[in-house]
Amino acid sequence: MTTATTTAPAAVLPAPAISRPTNVVPALALRRLALTIRSPRAVAIPLLAPVLFALVVAPALGNTLAGPGQHRTYMTFVALAAAGLLIPVNCMFTGLGVLTDRQHGAMRELLVAPIRRASIVLGNLLAALVITALQVSVLIFVVALRGAQFHTGRHLVWLVASAVGLAVFVYSLAETFATKITNAEEYTGLVPPIAIVPFFFAGTLYPITSLPGWLAGIAKVLPLTHAVALFRYGLTAQGEQALHNIWGMTDPTRMALLSLAVVSAYAAAALALAIRLFAKAGTS
Amino acid sequence: MTSTTAAVEADQLVKIYPGNVHAVAGISFSVPAGEAFGLLGPNGAGKTTTIGMLTTTVKPTSGRATLGGIDVARNPTATRAISSVVFQDAVVDRPLTGRQNLLLHLRLWGVDPAAGRIRCDQLSDAVGITHLLDRPVATYSGGERRRLEIVRALLSGPQVLFLDEPTVGLDTRVRHDLFDAITTIRERTGVTIIMTTHYLDEAERLCDRLAIIDAGRIVVCDSPRNLLASIGPEVLDLRVANPEMAVAALRGRGIAEHDIAVTGSTVTASLRDVSSQHITEHLTRFSVTVHSATTRRPSLDDVYLRLTGAHIATGTDN
Repeated sequence: MTTATTTAPAAVLPAPAISRPTNVVPALALRRLALTIRSPRAVAIPLLAPVLFALVVAPALGNTLAGPGQHRTYMTFVALAAAGLLIPVNCMFTGLGVLTDRQHGAMRELLVAPIRRASIVLGNLLAALVITALQVSVLIFVVALRGAQFHTGRHLVWLVASAVGLAVFVYSLAETFATKITNAEEYTGLVPPIAIVPFFFAGTLYPITSLPGWLAGIAKVLPLTHAVALFRYGLTAQGEQALHNIWGMTDPTRMALLSLAVVSAYAAAALALAIRLFAKAGTS
Repeated sequence: MTSTTAAVEADQLVKIYPGNVHAVAGISFSVPAGEAFGLLGPNGAGKTTTIGMLTTTVKPTSGRATLGGIDVARNPTATRAISSVVFQDAVVDRPLTGRQNLLLHLRLWGVDPAAGRIRCDQLSDAVGITHLLDRPVATYSGGERRRLEIVRALLSGPQVLFLDEPTVGLDTRVRHDLFDAITTIRERTGVTIIMTTHYLDEAERLCDRLAIIDAGRIVVCDSPRNLLASIGPEVLDLRVANPEMAVAALRGRGIAEHDIAVTGSTVTASLRDVSSQHITEHLTRFSVTVHSATTRRPSLDDVYLRLTGAHIATGTDN
């Protein structure tokens, strides 16, 4: 076509009415959920290791290590901590979806949408929280079936709040890594140090007081240590001891508040970093 | 946007990437509403970076750009609201259906749901993908997927549509189907189109005006008709034994002095002011062996070759 016209042809299709987009975060979360649920493996695989751990390893350790009459208590102690493995592993794997999105999905379409780029991160985060909540519920359910001694309703809000805080923290790290890393293999290599190694130093299998002094000091600054202590405070009778091991105080509510503040601070800082880096990376 | 405001305006846009890579070295152009404007050049010329700066995904090192009179750098969200992009490669959620991809776009651009669904049906019908919409995009062919992306880009009734190499990687028949789809969409919406391409036929067929880009700069900007007319009615391709001697012989006599280009052992000369017979006879007098001489209609590649000394298709220097 070589006609040098500069006037607009008659518009047959009228442009639709548009307004400022609303409810963008839920829309983006639903998109992410639809992408994840289309691949059930993404939901099921992160559950395998923690469920196996809670159903097989925890009872076996309880029978082997705990004294007579204590094996069920120890099993509960360890099994609940499996959520401290499940949440980080799941959030890190969910972050892998962001990497895939950038390379093979619709991420660039989202980046030219008339929305704040933070909304994209928050939508992904909301989806990760929904999937994590589903998985933690399944874990607690099967652990209860296996005979764990839970005190439901005792301080459940602490468990929920700390689980959300831990999930926000780890998912924000995942989103940050997915923003900076372009190679899926390199990203996957980060899963053990981020999601698995801290599990062994966070008072999950044994109280942090059993660790050497310097290692116990490191454990006390890990957000996972505080989250696991709050899990126990929320659902078991031994929770106050876990908090005492960290803070050395006697007021359980005060200690729980302090631990929740630590988890929340980590979560807020990591989320702010993730949003900042994502927005920056969206414009080269 | 008023009738006097350009739909797209670029003023001395520069982009220097880390490592002192000058991707765009001062590009300016103005596109009135309703025009299809092409950025033509080989890979690496700076076309996609220019589109990136206009669509807010690339931050200009210097310069200014506006869409519908709105400054792209100062108000990126507002400019994104009045524009859409069809990317060079597939940017879709493949596991989701075509309809799910379209509905997400409606939500993100704030389109009224009822009006959006009607427009979705109208546009899908116009480009012939209605029957595909409830299938996962992973099952689409390359051409079907590209049509879906064009429909998606037009759902919000954008003032400006960016098409970044819209037919790259597609076979000839699908490319021509897509030309037709783009022409139909243009007729039915009146949208302003900014298109990058390195395909000459695509540029000639779809664009009202073209900016030919080389090494991050616009070397010429005009309608395809005028650009082709600048070469003359015909060009002569000469296969010769010694191209340098042939060029020297012709230029020494002032024949086609500024309209000669050399590619390997082929000398291409414009026949604007001289006949093919005159050229071949002159070369024979200068003992230049001419293996073959072929006349043909000029192409945009000849324009590019004359201006830059390279072919668009390969981007290789002569």
